Amino acid sequence: MPLQALRTVAKPQNGVGAFILQCKRLDFHYCDWAGSSKGMNAFLTKTLPAFAARNPGIELHVSPRPGRHPVLRGAYINGCHKAICVRNMQPAEILDKVQLLKAGSGEKLRRERRPVKSANESVRGVWSPFHGGGYKV
Amino acid sequence: MKRIRLDRWATQLQPPRNPRLHLQRCPFSSETRAPRRELQQRQDQIQHQWQHQRRHATTRRKLSSTAEVLGEDASGAPIPPGTLQDGELAASPPPPLYAPSHRRAAQSAKLSALHARLSLPSKLPLQTLARCLIDPSADPRTGYNNAPFAVLGQDLLGYYTSEYLMCHYPRLPMPVLFAAQYAYVGNATLGAMRAEWGVEVVAAPGMEVDPGLLQLKRTVPGNAMMDGETRQLKEMPQAKRLGSGRRNEEHGYRRGMSSRIVFDDQFGDLQSGLPPADARPYPGAAISSPAEDSVEAGSEQQQDALGPVTTPPSQLQTPEETHAITVEAGSASFIRALTGALYLHAGSAASKSFHRDHVLSRQLPLHTLFHFTHPTRDLSRLCDREGFEPPVARLISETGRLSRTPVFVVGVYSGDDKLGEGAGSSLNEGRVRAAAAALRSWYLYSPPDTDVVLPSEVEGAAGTGRAKKQWKPQMVDYGEIVT
Repeated sequence: MPLQALRTVAKPQNGVGAFILQCKRLDFHYCDWAGSSKGMNAFLTKTLPAFAARNPGIELHVSPRPGRHPVLRGAYINGCHKAICVRNMQPAEILDKVQLLKAGSGEKLRRERRPVKSANESVRGVWSPFHGGGYKV
Repeated sequence: MKRIRLDRWATQLQPPRNPRLHLQRCPFSSETRAPRRELQQRQDQIQHQWQHQRRHATTRRKLSSTAEVLGEDASGAPIPPGTLQDGELAASPPPPLYAPSHRRAAQSAKLSALHARLSLPSKLPLQTLARCLIDPSADPRTGYNNAPFAVLGQDLLGYYTSEYLMCHYPRLPMPVLFAAQYAYVGNATLGAMRAEWGVEVVAAPGMEVDPGLLQLKRTVPGNAMMDGETRQLKEMPQAKRLGSGRRNEEHGYRRGMSSRIVFDDQFGDLQSGLPPADARPYPGAAISSPAEDSVEAGSEQQQDALGPVTTPPSQLQTPEETHAITVEAGSASFIRALTGALYLHAGSAASKSFHRDHVLSRQLPLHTLFHFTHPTRDLSRLCDREGFEPPVARLISETGRLSRTPVFVVGVYSGDDKLGEGAGSSLNEGRVRAAAAALRSWYLYSPPDTDVVLPSEVEGAAGTGRAKKQWKPQMVDYGEIVT
C-alpha cells in the first residue's frame, strides 16, 4: 500500500475546551468530644453548606472520627489523596485549607525546573547551522 | 438529493406527543434553565409527582380494561369484574432490577457531582445520566441500559468529527482520515476520557452499587489464574470471529480501502456483531432458503465442525448470559450514550458544543499519522497529475560527508519552487525525507477559516434560534494519488 496511517490517541488539554476540576471528592472528619475539633464543628455547621452550593462538582462526605483530630481528605482524578489535619484551627483557616485542596491537581509537590511546558516545538523555529547565514569558522 | 434533517431525527425516536396524556411529557426535563442549587429539590418534587400520577394512571388503566381483559386467579378461574381492589394490578409483577433503580439517581452524590463537573445542561436529568452509565453487559434489556443512546451518540460523534476533518483538511487521504477519526473518537480515546472525567468503574454490577459508577461486566484478564488451581484461565475458545458483512467473504479477498469505506465502520475496522460467513442460523430462525437435508441428517460431529451458530435476538434476558467486555469498550459506550442523551434532551446545539469542548479541544498533530512507503514515487505521480514540473532533488547544504555523522539537507524542487526539504545522514535518506515532507504539506493543506463552513452549522442550527451561517461550497479534492 502506498500510504499507511499510524494510530494514536489525541492528547487532552484540560481547560482549552471544557475544564474538569481535578478534585472530585472531599472527606470531612470531625469529633464531638475533642477540643481540637471545635473549629471544624463550627465550619461544618456554618461555612460548609455555602461551599457545597458553590462547588457542585465536588462530592462531599462528612463523618465523625471519635477521639481523633479533625482531618480534611481530598481525592483527585489521578487517583491520589491528600490529607490535612486541621486541629485547633478556626473556621476561616479551615476554609483556606479546603480551598487549597480544591485547587490542587493531585500531583506530588515537586520543584518545577522548566517553567514552560508545551506540545509545540517552537514558534520562531529552532536554530540550525545549515540554514540562514551559515556557520563560518 | 435530500438534505439530512438532523433536527428531525430526534423526534422520530421519541413517542408521539399527545397533549391529552399528561404522562407522556418528560417529567424530568425543564424548558427554562433552573439554577443548579434548586435542581435537586425540583427533581425530587417532579419525581414524587410522577410517582403519584403513575399510581393514578394504573388505576385509570385498570378501570378501563376491566371489561376487556381480566387476569385469572391461582386456581385458573377468571376473576369477575369489580372484584379488583385499589392498588392491585392484574398485570405481571414488577420487572427484576439488575442495576440501581432510577429512583436512587437523585440521591447519589457521585452522580450529581459528575453532572456538575461536566457542566451538563440542566435539561439532561440525573436519571438519564444514571442510565447512560449502565452497559448492556450489566443489564441486557434495552429499556434499561445505554445501548439505544450509544447508537445515536456514536453516529453524532462520528458525524461531527468527520465533517470537521473533511472541511478543514480536504486533501487528507483515507487511511489517515480513519486514523484521525480513531484518535478523536475511537475506543482508546474515549476510554482515556472516562478516566479524565473521574468516572469510576464497579468491580461487579448489581442493584446495590452507587448509581454514579460505570456498571459493566468486566472480562477476566488474559493472564488470570483459575480459582484454586495453578493453571491460567484463557478465554481463547470463547473468542468470536468477526464477520465482515461482505459477500463472497469465504474467499478471503483483501480488504482494500474502498471496501472498508463501504462495509466497515467509521474507523475502517470490522463492524461488531456481524456473524462470520460460515455461521449457521440458530434453530427456528426465519430464513428464506431452506436448510439442506443432507446437512441436517448428518452426524453431530459433522455439525460441530461446520461453524458457529448465530444467537437468537431474544436470548439474552439476564446479566448471567451477557458477554463480558473490557473497561475501554464500556467507557466508550458510556460517552457515546451521553452524547446521544444530550442530543435527545437538550438538542443539537448542546451535543455539538459537548463535542467541541471534549473532543475537538484535544490535541492531535496530524503530521505524525502519516507513514509513507514510496514518497518519491508518489510525489512524482502527484506532480504529473497536477501539471507541475517533475520533482528534482537538489542538495542544499551538507557537512561531515566523510565523517561518522554526516548531515545532508536535500530539497525537492519542481522547477524553481521548493516543495519540501529534509535532512538525513545519507543523500538517499535526505531525498526521501524531502519527498515525504512535500507530500505531507500537500495533504495537510487547510483552507482559511473564513472559507470553512461545516454542514451542521447550516442544517442543524435552523432550530436553535442563532443566526445560521451562509453555506459556502467546501473544497473537494480530486482524490488520492494513484500509483
